Amino acid sequence: MFNFILLILIYTAIFALMAIGQNLITGYVGLLSLTQAGFFAIGSYVTAILSVTYGWNFWLTVPMAALISSFFGLLIGLPTLRLKGDYLAIATLGFGEIVRNILNNWDSLTNGPMGIQRIPMISLFGIQISPYKKWGFLVLVWIFVLVAYFLFDRLAKSRLGRALEAIREDEIAASSMGINVTRYKVWAFILGAAVAGVAGSLQAEFILSVTPGAFTFMVSIMVLCMVVLGGMGNFKAVILGAFIIQFISYFPQLVGLSNVIPPQFKQILFGLILVVMMIWRPQGILGREKRSAPRRLFRSGGDV
Amino acid sequence: MKKVLIATLLILVVSIIPIFAQGASESSVKLGFIGPMTGDYGNYGNLISKGALLAIEQKNAKGGIAGKIQIELIVEDSEGDPQKGLAGIEKLASSDKIVALIGPVFTGVAFAVGERVQNEGIMMVTPSGTHKDITDIGNYVFRTVASDGLQGDVSGHYFYEKLGIRKLGVLYVKNDYSQGLYEGTKASFESRGGVVTIAETAQIGDKDFKTQLTKIRASNPDAIYIPNYTAEMAQILEQATQLGIKIPFLSSDGFSNPEIYDLAGDYTDGVIYVGPTQVKESSDYKKFVADYTAKWGFAPDSFATNAFDAANILFETLEKVYAKNGKFDRKAIRDTFAATKDFPGVTGTVNFAENGDLVAYQGVYKVEGKTPKYIGTYTVVDGELIEIK
Amino acid sequence: MGSIAEFFQHLMNGLTLGGIYALIALGYTMVYGILKFINFAHGDILMVGSYIGLFTFDAIRGQTMGPWTVIAFFIAMLAGMLFSAGLGMAIERIAYKPLRRATRLAPLLSAIGVSFILSNMAAWMWGTKSRKLDYPFDNSPIYLKGVSITPHQILILAVVIVMMVALKLFVDRSRIGKAMRATSLDQDTAKLMGIKADKIIAITFAIGSALAATAGFLIALEIKVYPSMGTMTGLKAFVAAVVGGIGNISGAMLGGILLGLLETFGVALLGIPYGLRDTIAFVALIIILLVKPEGLLGKAEKEKV
Repeated sequence: MFNFILLILIYTAIFALMAIGQNLITGYVGLLSLTQAGFFAIGSYVTAILSVTYGWNFWLTVPMAALISSFFGLLIGLPTLRLKGDYLAIATLGFGEIVRNILNNWDSLTNGPMGIQRIPMISLFGIQISPYKKWGFLVLVWIFVLVAYFLFDRLAKSRLGRALEAIREDEIAASSMGINVTRYKVWAFILGAAVAGVAGSLQAEFILSVTPGAFTFMVSIMVLCMVVLGGMGNFKAVILGAFIIQFISYFPQLVGLSNVIPPQFKQILFGLILVVMMIWRPQGILGREKRSAPRRLFRSGGDV
Repeated sequence: MKKVLIATLLILVVSIIPIFAQGASESSVKLGFIGPMTGDYGNYGNLISKGALLAIEQKNAKGGIAGKIQIELIVEDSEGDPQKGLAGIEKLASSDKIVALIGPVFTGVAFAVGERVQNEGIMMVTPSGTHKDITDIGNYVFRTVASDGLQGDVSGHYFYEKLGIRKLGVLYVKNDYSQGLYEGTKASFESRGGVVTIAETAQIGDKDFKTQLTKIRASNPDAIYIPNYTAEMAQILEQATQLGIKIPFLSSDGFSNPEIYDLAGDYTDGVIYVGPTQVKESSDYKKFVADYTAKWGFAPDSFATNAFDAANILFETLEKVYAKNGKFDRKAIRDTFAATKDFPGVTGTVNFAENGDLVAYQGVYKVEGKTPKYIGTYTVVDGELIEIK
Repeated sequence: MGSIAEFFQHLMNGLTLGGIYALIALGYTMVYGILKFINFAHGDILMVGSYIGLFTFDAIRGQTMGPWTVIAFFIAMLAGMLFSAGLGMAIERIAYKPLRRATRLAPLLSAIGVSFILSNMAAWMWGTKSRKLDYPFDNSPIYLKGVSITPHQILILAVVIVMMVALKLFVDRSRIGKAMRATSLDQDTAKLMGIKADKIIAITFAIGSALAATAGFLIALEIKVYPSMGTMTGLKAFVAAVVGGIGNISGAMLGGILLGLLETFGVALLGIPYGLRDTIAFVALIIILLVKPEGLLGKAEKEKV
């Protein structure tokens, strides 16, 4: 039971990283993007391929994962950012599916549907951080989360963050104030992608294998749920959101109910919670951090 | 905030109840099962888990292990995702304290969970993970299903030698099972001098295969090999008929699920498939199919049959271990299981190779109308196809 | 088999695949046109409607094939449509209506929740295995110069065209249709003009859901009925609706057919591995959206300050 709580906390951390990136894109800039699964997959495969095929050390694969993910962030961000609202959502969702599709078919690089196994464990100063002994891994992933939180929160409170918020509130007004809208949007995309790539690296190291089947668009949806459930535009809230979603997902297993209730009930419960939550508190549990001007959250017709 | 507090409290109260309810009773022993129970592949997990469950109910009806210890199966849903599979094994290993695991169903999850059970010292036996490398994880990993390697070997040789096929067209799905069989069969078929003229792929969940079938027909092969799951094969056969394709179809153990005759109707006529041996339609096998169908309302596929055997071998193992030690020790269970000799399963006589693989032969069947007719049992030794009489 | 026949065979295959996408896309586009949100549960409503149709058909069709079988088939389809319409209205009332004034994201997530509930309820109640829906007519192919065409393919294409025309007439000409367009343009103004917007939205949902059931029931003849039958096809259909210009009825049809042809010919002529079919679809989507961000037949919305 206690071990299982540790496991939930590890999964929370991995998803919290993705949620932090999503929050910058959706919570701050107001773009409805559904790409996190794609960047997550890219990060996972970068670590898997570099460490298994080319024998790289994990610590070198992490920056590569971030770099390659952000490159794809740029690649997908530049053209699609012209799109609005649901069009952007569906185009970015498409990108995630393309990534999974290619991973599943590019056999010579990714080993296709068989996936890549035997990823070497992380070692730090000669000490192996085994995913089987959860404490070490737990501390490691949460350090990543804290660093990401610190960096992104700083960033969001800086000039960039204010620019991003201005874009969300009113794009035309923002651009007439001299804000380079496209550039800021692309930056948000790149940073969001990078942190999801790092999350992918960690996921690969925890599972010790990768298969394309694990990166469906449901991952992106889950991450989005975490951001909305916690509270958009609030980095603490999205980490809380990540915990709540993971806790709900694994709750039946945690308390030993998973064998008693039909397996579908877990999913039905999840669906019910989503619906009830949206009706009850559409602004999320904590809501946006209150700092500036009046919010237009309940205005209909806005992008997000 | 008050509401949040009340909700949190409620959740906590609910979480604590089952902890009290979990009294450690000496009169039961727990086995675990991991497979996709929900989502697109929920049907496979469902069929297979029911095979193990049937074995357990039959055993418990006879008093259980040593006539007094009841067996319990704890089923965990993997949703086909390694992350969920790992959560499942974590719970089974540390909360339920299972003595052995049946599953996981699919290769991807089997690799992740396999590493974990090897590390934890819990034996697992997969009834359906066919990837040839699974059992290489370590000595705690077994299977009661033939590996892709063996089935592919027999298929390739049989198609070339006995059916006289020289040009083979293939339509497989990009998942581990289907692609594994394709690669195994291609290697052995081409080692004999045959040519795979065209190998078309499909995506998981596809229902429309007309484009690929049209292309395959244009390449004019002697036969079309379709190593896929039941639902896809039904679809392929039906659409081939719609396109007027007259080329014979060859298939794999996925065809041994009787559901195919329900879904594909008359289109199954003439298909030849390589699948598990059923000791020439033994009475044990017939009884199992009848019991299973009566109990659950649908028929078992070959993987469910493998799970039934896996569970029964585990019972024999547990009996032996309990008789010797008076308790269930995970290491002793692994060792005793590995030493299984000539177990009379419903899929035939079961033995395990050094690496945990099933020592198996392959049966060849030809479908006449809607009934598979047994043709013979084969294996491949040193690149030679040998019939087992 | 000559290569010309092969070409026409691919064309026929692509048209029917596209027809299936178009059929589902019509329902999507209706709902989106009014409410401007992706009804993620559309594919699941399609699935429920197909199950109800299947159960009704198996209950009433009797033993022998005959004219009654065909009538029974359409009665069953109607039953599925009615049930889905009711279900769609109920979902709208419970899960979407309270969110009319919330952020754009709230109804989207609520819809995802509904999708989870529906597909898993179905799996729990009706089991996970595929169920066969028998053809009410002989589906043997007819051959035209070596190209095979099945009655089912013709039926799908015919229904798509009939439905598209009927819907277009309904939305353009009828009173309710006019009210729908008004609600779509501006809900508040429509209300001020005396249009009962809530009622119109409920009707739209009922029609959209009934369309989903029709599509599901017709494609079930080929793909069978199972809990996740609407998921991936539904997603593709949504892509088709977006490509055509979401909210636009002719666009849904155009987008669907185009997507079906692209997928088929991308594989057949360009030699792209079939495994990459989804990539073709989504790359086409992104390219089309880049050239025409509002879709092929969509109207560009003017940005107001």
